[in-house]
Amino acid sequence: MTVEEQIREIVARITHVDKSIITRGSTFKEIKADSLDIVQALVAVEEAFGIEIPDEEAQKFQNFGDFVSYVEDRVAQGEKV
Amino acid sequence: MSLEGRLALVTGGGRGIGRAIALKLASQGADIIVNFFRHRESAEQTAKDIEALGVKAEAIRANVGEPAKIDEMFDMIGNKFGRLDILINNAASGVGRPAMDVDVKAWEWTMDINARACLLCAQRAAKLMEGRGGKIVSISSLGSPFVLPNYTIVGVSKAALEALSRYLAIELAPQGICVNAVAASAVETEALKFYFKEGLVKDKRQVTPAGRMVIPEDVANVVAFLCSEEAFMIRGQTIIVDGGTSVGLFTLVGKES
Repeated sequence: MTVEEQIREIVARITHVDKSIITRGSTFKEIKADSLDIVQALVAVEEAFGIEIPDEEAQKFQNFGDFVSYVEDRVAQGEKV
Repeated sequence: MSLEGRLALVTGGGRGIGRAIALKLASQGADIIVNFFRHRESAEQTAKDIEALGVKAEAIRANVGEPAKIDEMFDMIGNKFGRLDILINNAASGVGRPAMDVDVKAWEWTMDINARACLLCAQRAAKLMEGRGGKIVSISSLGSPFVLPNYTIVGVSKAALEALSRYLAIELAPQGICVNAVAASAVETEALKFYFKEGLVKDKRQVTPAGRMVIPEDVANVVAFLCSEEAFMIRGQTIIVDGGTSVGLFTLVGKES
């Protein structure tokens, strides 16, 4: 499973939306993710990939694609435990 | 009030009230473990600032909302130090909603971090305090005894924290462990700026009898006192730090606008 697929599953599980509607261009509002959903998704992704995502970075995410790209970059840098 | 040679754990100790408490206890000689979750940079900076005071400091990441992470943190403390003298339950989170909009997820998130973590940390801390006594102080807020707008779950979680402090105070008294809580009104922190922005809190300077808002150091001073031997006979209490706001409520009607 790719990084994107794993994150999509995590976000879909937390927000209770069908993962098929989550695209890279989807905003968190479109996914119906509130601030708690976003924090919980960050925590779950951090656990899954063994990385830390500082709030300062997370606040820059405009959509699901930004989130995925950030994690892909971090994983590519070999930060996966 | 020297705390020289004591070891203190401050949950959520990297920023705001937690940072002020950590620095205050350090200024009195205690070595500090700064727990953090989402803000590593702040926690590491706080640890550096503590070390500059001439004591030891360590930043440990753990989400206290997860029991397994609490266990990992205390396992590390136990293995590395073998003891703990002071536990400050400060880490907090919450979802600002009216009661009718609270769902199970928001309830559990807030209660797990603000209330359950205090119990689990106290259980583990008490074991590390065995045979040496200790101090446990938990940070509450005026949202427990009073109703604040959109503060339902946090207020309820703080009420649980205060009740827990009373029960722990009695249960742990035979072990020489003093347990208390400190409740502040709105404190000037980064978290408060968020509440201002969301319109959940208005500027309280105009309605505080003491003439200014509570700052983190006001809370830290009381916490440090409760961690001292001078406070030995204070047990299971919640000390309010609010510049007189709560006792002067009826004198303030109409002034806020």
